[in-house]
Amino acid sequence: MTISDYLVTDDLTVLLGFIGVSVFLLQNLYKPQPLVHPILLGRQSDAGRVRNPGESAVYRNYGTGLMGRFPVRPDKDVNVVTDFVKPEFDAPRTLWSTKITNTQLKARVSAFGSGIAKLVSEDSIVLILLNDCIEFIITDLALSEQSIASITLSSPKLLARVLEMHPPNAIVTDKTFLPYVLKATSDAHERNHTLIVVDWSQPSEIPIHSWNNIESEGKVPQAPKNAPQPGSAYTVSFFETPSGGVQCVQLSHENFTSGVTAIKALFPSAINISTLDTIVSSHSLSTPYGRAIAYAALFEGASFATLPSTGIFHDGDAPALDVADVLSATKFPIPSPTVLFLKPEHVQSLTSSVIDRAKKSFLFPLAWRHKFASLTEGFVTKDSLWDRTVFGSAREDVLGKMADTVKAVVISGGLLPSDALVPARLALSIPLINTYTHGSATGPLFATHAFDLQMLSSSSPATEPAHVGAPSVNVEAKLISVKDNVVEQGADPIGEILVRGPSVGNMLSADGEAGEKNAWVHTGGTARVMTNGAFKVLGSM
Amino acid sequence: MAYTLDFSTPVNSALLIYILYSVQKIVFPSTSTPKTIPSEFKHGYSWMPKEHPPTVLFKTYTPKTLEPFDGKNGGRILLAINGIVFDVTAGRNFYGPDGMYGNFAGRDASRGMAKQSFDLEMLTAVDQPLDKLQDLRPDEIENMKGWIDHFSNKYIICGKLVDNDAA
Repeated sequence: MTISDYLVTDDLTVLLGFIGVSVFLLQNLYKPQPLVHPILLGRQSDAGRVRNPGESAVYRNYGTGLMGRFPVRPDKDVNVVTDFVKPEFDAPRTLWSTKITNTQLKARVSAFGSGIAKLVSEDSIVLILLNDCIEFIITDLALSEQSIASITLSSPKLLARVLEMHPPNAIVTDKTFLPYVLKATSDAHERNHTLIVVDWSQPSEIPIHSWNNIESEGKVPQAPKNAPQPGSAYTVSFFETPSGGVQCVQLSHENFTSGVTAIKALFPSAINISTLDTIVSSHSLSTPYGRAIAYAALFEGASFATLPSTGIFHDGDAPALDVADVLSATKFPIPSPTVLFLKPEHVQSLTSSVIDRAKKSFLFPLAWRHKFASLTEGFVTKDSLWDRTVFGSAREDVLGKMADTVKAVVISGGLLPSDALVPARLALSIPLINTYTHGSATGPLFATHAFDLQMLSSSSPATEPAHVGAPSVNVEAKLISVKDNVVEQGADPIGEILVRGPSVGNMLSADGEAGEKNAWVHTGGTARVMTNGAFKVLGSM
Repeated sequence: MAYTLDFSTPVNSALLIYILYSVQKIVFPSTSTPKTIPSEFKHGYSWMPKEHPPTVLFKTYTPKTLEPFDGKNGGRILLAINGIVFDVTAGRNFYGPDGMYGNFAGRDASRGMAKQSFDLEMLTAVDQPLDKLQDLRPDEIENMKGWIDHFSNKYIICGKLVDNDAA
């Protein structure tokens, strides 16, 4: 047989050739486009050119740059915290269970402010021991407007110590926590304070003012004597460190406006927060970060609610951080949530529930393979064929109506294990923004790019948590206690994280002395910087 | 017209095998991740750069330890103004051995910057204590500060200069 005998072609060849060419084109050209170009993920932070011995270089967000100024306010007119409630925006939105417009909210804030100004003098201290509710926001905004100092605690265990060190002139609390407060104040032999209780109607022998009465007494608003300045501190937050110590941080109006700017910067323009959104948060308003999330919702005109697990002041056990906790946000009369600020435990619980439901379908292995393959190309979507057949119905079973409306999830308040990242991305198929927060800062300290879908297995044998990305837009970070000889060889610097920036508050020493302005704050966390500028928080000291 | 369909011809079999293989790859995509993370973005979406951006360690120099950094062997070029050491390797044209201001490489250039002169008599010998700059006029001090600003913006501050016995 000659060569031409081997190469005999017929009509089938033409057909097969046509099919072969189209299959080839399909395979090579139908690769999905990554949501963010990988070249941007290779340089996420701008590193300093010089470093001190034992420290790493100073890192900033690549968008801000080492020479850039930190963005301090979300809009040029927002200087103090009460400016977050924009009066020109008129549509009502729901905060927990109250449907309210901005003008009504501003009126309530000035009413309560005038009422409480009649009760306590301007240089007094008010302790706010409330779970998250609209009264908390009104109290906080009113006190900031009147320039009356307020204190919040991140845990009821700190109450005894705070009563001892900074005896307050007034305590705002609610009915369920009142017995605990009374006991704590009598233990500390603290008598000179006024008690203001939310939902209080019955008479009692102890002088207790009802929150609603104070608001109605202030119906004729008195303008505060001094207008609050952006740089002046108006609140102090006490929080616990993982090792059990207590730290307190003084926060000013500028800290909160910077925090809201950083939170808004988490979302690229394709998924930014607007008045059509509903934000649900699992971070308590008694923490600076939780309050900044609430202010971001207020500023954007979005509806807002928090999960029951944020309740700090309650009796009994705290609710578990799981799917039921997330679903309880739907009990409030808010529109279906679109942006969720959750903790890693919530996300892990959601992921395992969705995947368990999805496994019931016989197409699950194939769907998983296809979504995983597109993930390696940097693309994920909620509307693919595999979502319509397998994952979409699983998400609806677990999340209900929320499955359709949720467009982004921000993970903060803990370390997400790296092996939970890929299942979470596949199960939820929406941008997951992993962040690192600290009790001293109003905004996230580090945040990943919203569309970052890289799967970078760690080189070290121990399983490290997922990376938290570059420093936030208005934070600069460096590591100390770094091994110089290792870093000079080119290895990743590993050390304790120090941060600085307009969203990081002023840490107070044990006896309440303010530190110098704009000092580096020790977060107590250890981290490793990767070559692409992203940080990987390894744990606490 | 009758179509001839013959799967046993080599060309047809080859095409058929290719089509079946490609269809199998499309319907069952691979889920393996590469063992080593690629160091170029062209080689994969999940990539990491090979190295960190270069950083310089802030060191304390004395006139004796600063002197070798005059760029003569193609090394770094450092110069000091008012106790601040700048890495001017990027300006080899000016401060290298053949440059106009090569006298200043590896030395304390404070007096020269203040008096706007590149003469050798502006420099202090390396075994002498540092030039205290006490006899400079206020406008010369201003001139020196202006040069410090210029250098801070253009070059990297990589150390400080102290006396030979103070290190």
